[in-house]
Amino acid sequence: MALIELKEVSKVYGFGDASTLALDEATLTIEKGEFVAIMGPSGSGKSTLMNVIGLLDRPSHGSFMLDGRPVAKLRPNQAAKVRRDTIGFIFQSFNLLPRLSVLENVALPLAYKGMSLSRRLKQASNMLERVGIQKREYFLPSQLSGGQAQCAAIARALVNNPKLIIADEPTGNLDSAASRLVMELLAEIHKTGNTILFVTHNPELTRYATRVVYMHDGSIIHDEKTALGQVAATARKVLYTLTTTTEEDDLAGVSALMMALPNKPAVRAPRKAIKHRTAKSTVRRKPKSTKASK
Amino acid sequence: MKSLTRGHLKAGLDSVRGAKWRNFWTMLGIIIGVASVITIVSIGQGVKQQIGQQISHSGKNVITIRPGTLRANSSQSKSDFSVLSGLSITGSLRDSDVKTVQDTKGVSASAPLAAVATDVVGDNGLNKNSFVIGTSPDLPALINQSLAFGVFLTVDDEGMNAAVLGSTMADQLFNSDVPLGHSFKIHGEEFIVRGIFNDFGSTPLSDEANYNSTIFIPYDAAQRLTKNSAAIYEILAKTDSAKTVAPTIGSLQQSIKKGHGDQNDFNILRADESLAARSNVLSLLTNLISGVAAISLLVGGIGIMNVMLVSVTERMHEIGIRKAIGATNRQILSQFMIESSLLSFSGGVIGVVIAFIIDGLLRFFTNLRPVISWQVVGLAFGVSLVVGIIFGTVPALKAARKDPIEALRSQL
Repeated sequence: MALIELKEVSKVYGFGDASTLALDEATLTIEKGEFVAIMGPSGSGKSTLMNVIGLLDRPSHGSFMLDGRPVAKLRPNQAAKVRRDTIGFIFQSFNLLPRLSVLENVALPLAYKGMSLSRRLKQASNMLERVGIQKREYFLPSQLSGGQAQCAAIARALVNNPKLIIADEPTGNLDSAASRLVMELLAEIHKTGNTILFVTHNPELTRYATRVVYMHDGSIIHDEKTALGQVAATARKVLYTLTTTTEEDDLAGVSALMMALPNKPAVRAPRKAIKHRTAKSTVRRKPKSTKASK
Repeated sequence: MKSLTRGHLKAGLDSVRGAKWRNFWTMLGIIIGVASVITIVSIGQGVKQQIGQQISHSGKNVITIRPGTLRANSSQSKSDFSVLSGLSITGSLRDSDVKTVQDTKGVSASAPLAAVATDVVGDNGLNKNSFVIGTSPDLPALINQSLAFGVFLTVDDEGMNAAVLGSTMADQLFNSDVPLGHSFKIHGEEFIVRGIFNDFGSTPLSDEANYNSTIFIPYDAAQRLTKNSAAIYEILAKTDSAKTVAPTIGSLQQSIKKGHGDQNDFNILRADESLAARSNVLSLLTNLISGVAAISLLVGGIGIMNVMLVSVTERMHEIGIRKAIGATNRQILSQFMIESSLLSFSGGVIGVVIAFIIDGLLRFFTNLRPVISWQVVGLAFGVSLVVGIIFGTVPALKAARKDPIEALRSQL
């Protein structure tokens, strides 16, 4: 039996002319033990899909079976209980409560289950050991590095032994080293049999996934299985046409392109020279113009 | 569930501790409300109790005759009037009335109180606080007051220069501890101290003169010193039993009226009546003021509601997180309810503490003896708690009903 079965699920926000279709009859089945990456441009409905699967949001249409139970029409309190017992959330911005210590943060889901204080602190401590930051359990979240904070958030998501872990861009706020740490941790958790869903913009991270789902304008446009440790085939295409952010990357891309073209000299040096000259000329021109005005 | 409540309590305490000053201002309304309700009611009860003691003290069968027309000398300065109000009402009671009262049927003992306006010179020179009263030997029995030292004026002392002092006056006039047999001067005449009264329990808010700083001399001596113009501001009379009070008042009324040429220019009061009336007015006043104070409790509750509403908005993101990891609406509701009741609870505790401090200060610096009863403390405290809970519901409901996604999306 599949863990998640979405059938023609739609989500409409707003009314009338102002309404937007965030999910357009998405159909998705996820088996137990899958490690699914969800990719797509911003506004493609990834987060809405996550919210619907995570029972934070109710779909406007369609049916949703979670672990064999219809959950599309659950009332808020029932949904909260399902979230508490079967789903663990990991957020891009960690979302740890700033006033509670790391240990208390991790123990919080157990509190809502009604577990005794000593038991839940013990369990939370064990979980922190598992994610490797037990030494920091009495720190406040603000005293942790980004990677450590995300590890604490993962510990909090895991503390209930959820069947499903939903991570909305878990590495979005982290540098590459911390990202690797977090993804390795998720991969380890996956090995113990958990089902993990994560949203990412980084095609590199599809290496960790067993399956990649691509979304566009609220629809699932592509769905492929990949081998662990390999970038997904479709994602690989995106990998090299990624929009780069720094000027240096830009220049590197351009010069690589020029090099690839036959019988053309590299344009790097002239470019620099032009820049240099124009800079000088502007310096020279200024005093002249002031003199002329006199 | 129990452990969760404890968790909420801790979270509430944390958030109260986290914003100490803001929470103090929040609680201020409750603090002032609780403290003022307790203080006002306890002052009222204290004064009532003192009046009650006075009633039982002077006895129910004591009749007071006072001059009726206040206009006589009311042009005198106000401070004089308030301190020695009896003095400023001169005139309408005369020397003959003293005899009339004495001879009226049913009166077993009587004593005039005649004020003598004069200088008193003791060991320490001129004493300005003194208040000289001419009276008869029956006075201690009438006002139910015993002497600390010596004896009161006797029938044999009439016309003699003997005096009995109030305790404060004894301290002020003489350097020695027990100045029995010492002499001092009133209006240039030597007087010998015969006895010293025990401390008169003074009654706050009463128009009685302060007997502790009074010098009692024989009535005859007072008349002689003032050349028969001593102002009789009160005649006390006692009947054999409480039953005969009413008929005796009737005959007193008649005989004095006759002596005044059929003029009704005097008042006859029963001790218990006048005090009871005062006590009634007092409890009315107490109720009124504590009602006003109770309004501040209400305002305090509204203050708590406002701060909790702000707090809910500020912590929307936290609410979102809590909901995402599985908090039900009820759990969020109870978290915020516990916080607001904790605020009003702490406010109540501080208010009670302040009320006790005020009580101590009042006892130390004034002659008020506030009585803080546990019922009042419980009531004020309970009302503050209820107010906190009632006004905490609105923000807590707002928090609990928030959509988790919307709450998560809101950033600080």
